Amino acid sequence: MDDHYGWNCSLKPQILGFVISLVLIYAAYRLDQVHLTNPSTILFTIMTLCVLQGLAQFFFFLHLGMEQTPRWNLYAFLFTTCILFIVVTGTIWILQSLDHNLMRS
Amino acid sequence: MSSGVQDTYDRAVFGTWLYILSDFLFFGTLFAVYAFLQKGNDTNKLFSLKYAFGETLILLSSSTAAGLAGAYLHRKDRRNTLIYFFLAWILGAGFAALEFLNLFSIASRNYTWDQSAFLSAYFTLIGTHGLHIVFCLFWMIVLLLPLFFTQIRDVDVRRLTCFRMFWQFLNIVWIFIFTIVYLMGVDGYYG
Repeated sequence: MDDHYGWNCSLKPQILGFVISLVLIYAAYRLDQVHLTNPSTILFTIMTLCVLQGLAQFFFFLHLGMEQTPRWNLYAFLFTTCILFIVVTGTIWILQSLDHNLMRS
Repeated sequence: MSSGVQDTYDRAVFGTWLYILSDFLFFGTLFAVYAFLQKGNDTNKLFSLKYAFGETLILLSSSTAAGLAGAYLHRKDRRNTLIYFFLAWILGAGFAALEFLNLFSIASRNYTWDQSAFLSAYFTLIGTHGLHIVFCLFWMIVLLLPLFFTQIRDVDVRRLTCFRMFWQFLNIVWIFIFTIVYLMGVDGYYG
């Protein structure tokens, strides 16, 4: 059994991931209700909390980056995030410019 | 595990991982369309943030229970594996019920998917996630049935690990739904 399996058998990462997620999601939820600062700062903060929580769960729950070399899982993940970024920002950009140029005349 | 079994296990996990990433991309397109179409729509009349927060906590607990079951699975501890997967199933079923009740209650107030592009995007995004959850609940039952009769075999470890990964991935998707649809929608950031 290699280290990979040691990590797989351990309960600790699951509990740790649960607690971290709970803290982050509650922080985002409270922040959304309390309105400490201006909307754009809150927007930025809850998006950051969301991405942090996503990464925390990929790491603690799905064991991203814990594999041995060659790290195919990690490379595939990074490649997908690049594509995801291009697809999402590209879609929103194209739709917004279409909306602006064709619908508001 | 012998090295042959190890190879099969690694390949299965990697294949599941690639499938998960392609599903991530698929949800990404739904998110992009939703974020664009939400503009100018008041979502406060559709759903409450408290309700969605409750759903989030239930799914997070379910995801953790599945993770704990996965750890016991690798230790070949049949009793705890069954207990925690059962817990994950109950919580997951509760989440699916809440998610679809939410959709039905919105539709019953005459905000149906054919009313506007925004509502189409909302029903597609939430409905797709809900269907993933429902299929996973069936998948879990099918995979757990053999464990009632035999000890945990290598093939069970492989199948249930693939399932556990996908189940925990669905929780990550929900985190993004909770932030982009519910948290950002309720405050009218898209206004």
